[in-house]
Amino acid sequence: MITYIGLENIISPLGITAEENFNQIKQGNTSINYHRGIGFGHENIFLSKLKNTPSFYELLSQCLQAVIKGTEDELILSKDTIVIISTTKADIKENITTPIIAAIKKLTKEFQLQQQPIVISNACISGVLAMNTANNFIKAGIYKNAFVIGADVVSDFVLYGFQSLYAISDKPCQPFDKNRTGISLGEGAGGVFMSSDKNVFKSTCFEFVEGTSSNDANHISGPSRTGEGLVRTVNNSLALAQLKPSAIDFISAHGTGTSFNDEMEAIAFSRLGMNTIPLNSLKGYFGHTLGAAGLIETAICLQSLRNNLLIKTLGFEEDGASEKINITTQNITTEVTTILKTASGFGGCNASAIIRKLK
Amino acid sequence: MNYITTYCHIALNNCYVNGKLTHSFNSNSIDDFTKEFYKSLILEYPKFHKMDRLAKTAFLGTEVLKKECPEILNYKDDEIAILFSNNNSSALTDVNFQTSYQNGGVPSPSLFVYTLPNILIGEIAIRNKWYGENMFTVAEHFDAEYFVNYCNVLLHKNAAAALCGWLTIDDNKIEAFLFFVTKKDFNELNLPLESKQLIELYTKN
Amino acid sequence: MEALKTKLKQQIIEQLNLEDFSVADIKDDMPLFGEGLGLDSIDALELIVLLENNYNIKLTNPEEGKSVFNSVNSMAEYIVKNRP
Repeated sequence: MITYIGLENIISPLGITAEENFNQIKQGNTSINYHRGIGFGHENIFLSKLKNTPSFYELLSQCLQAVIKGTEDELILSKDTIVIISTTKADIKENITTPIIAAIKKLTKEFQLQQQPIVISNACISGVLAMNTANNFIKAGIYKNAFVIGADVVSDFVLYGFQSLYAISDKPCQPFDKNRTGISLGEGAGGVFMSSDKNVFKSTCFEFVEGTSSNDANHISGPSRTGEGLVRTVNNSLALAQLKPSAIDFISAHGTGTSFNDEMEAIAFSRLGMNTIPLNSLKGYFGHTLGAAGLIETAICLQSLRNNLLIKTLGFEEDGASEKINITTQNITTEVTTILKTASGFGGCNASAIIRKLK
Repeated sequence: MNYITTYCHIALNNCYVNGKLTHSFNSNSIDDFTKEFYKSLILEYPKFHKMDRLAKTAFLGTEVLKKECPEILNYKDDEIAILFSNNNSSALTDVNFQTSYQNGGVPSPSLFVYTLPNILIGEIAIRNKWYGENMFTVAEHFDAEYFVNYCNVLLHKNAAAALCGWLTIDDNKIEAFLFFVTKKDFNELNLPLESKQLIELYTKN
Repeated sequence: MEALKTKLKQQIIEQLNLEDFSVADIKDDMPLFGEGLGLDSIDALELIVLLENNYNIKLTNPEEGKSVFNSVNSMAEYIVKNRP
């Protein structure tokens, strides 16, 4: 059984389709801006914010609607279709006691979903985990199709929280750079469609080969110093896919811009023997969109596969980790076949997924 | 066929393992109850006191299940998947964190790190050195079908066992249902992993 | 100074949920991190919050905390020196 993936969509300040977003970042444009006085203690903050401040629900439904357009109309109404949603804080701005369920009930009703959506809230790996879950359900024959949508909005709650951890960058974030000082938050949505039937995609689709997750079993807020969980999940995904590390043409890493995270990733990819494989972080373009990040970044991966173009790591100038890895400093035009997507998050969680062009 | 090898229910002041009352306390609050419960298990784990209520409850339930089914400890460190679920994510801690900065105070970093529901999975992973699959899901009600389907999928793939749980906690109520799913029926409770069976166990006590 | 130290110990125990420690267990010169109380990086950030909420002292750079949070002695000295 093969799981197919495609019909990617991105809603961000850079555009409302994956193509628009890809064209913007291809030109080196970022959505991270300076916002005066919006932080705790009226601090000035760099972050990526949508102009019309949509609600979590609006982002979610707009993104789902966009992905649906790429398939047969009746698929969303099928009992064989599951909607999987990825978010961290959902509607926390408006509804702190039930931030998720109210929006999901509304979505179920509006789209007349036959199955209760599955909502994954697993910190910053939620997006990758949501695709892995879709793949697992499809390969097991439990569902035939999955719409996988991730969304998160910027809120005082999350911004103040990261400020309290001294984890907000005082300039637009600089993943993997020597002078990185933290993350820039972002908001948006990302979505893909996955299915066991490639004929229901109205455009070119790809193979979602395998995906797994693994815990560091080390610390709830700091990544493992040895990259243990990330090494394990990548090894597990490669093994299930029956691929060697050398089969990977490109890595779409997590790369948040915090000192500890980026160091951990460099160590992990070095341990995996993957330090010469071109790798990027997209956080310099979109900021860290938390529950949406895995899906937005995977959507860009699919665009890279379509266009045979690897995107440079915006904000990165000089190596800043103890292990040398091959971080993209320019857009690279090259034949790309197989991509590894990874993510790591609070709670010590790590996830990875492998996607490739169809033979 | 996969089995529900062992299960427990935790409510304020009471814990039932495999349907039998095993721990009972006379505390007046959730915080006192979890503290008394922790003390009664005689564990040297000071990190427990730093956890939020969600993580404390999941931690205690897991300890109780391990005691009841020590075979769990024989699995390899990445063979146990951890799947938890509830209907309001980390709402209680979210409110506490918001309160920390709303009344003239400064946002509390130690509260903020617990404003993600999957932190409880991290706590269990750290305690037991379990490196396996993790997933926290949010659903309106206990979704037996999800647990059955996803346990079957993972136990067929890269896990040999799964620790599962549903837990909702608010200011004065605690409701937790934890269970271990394994390929072998260690405790011979003869509870095959099926939706109907799981719903029956969930509604018990 | 002694009263301040005792109060500080109470506040540390309460703020950091150190259930297994009492005021008497924390010696004035005991290292707060590593071997002594065994605090971690989040605790260090929480101590910054403690100074701000209870003593109106704002530490802008967490690196500064390393010397300030060495022990109850060093914390108390810092408070006396910097209290507005």
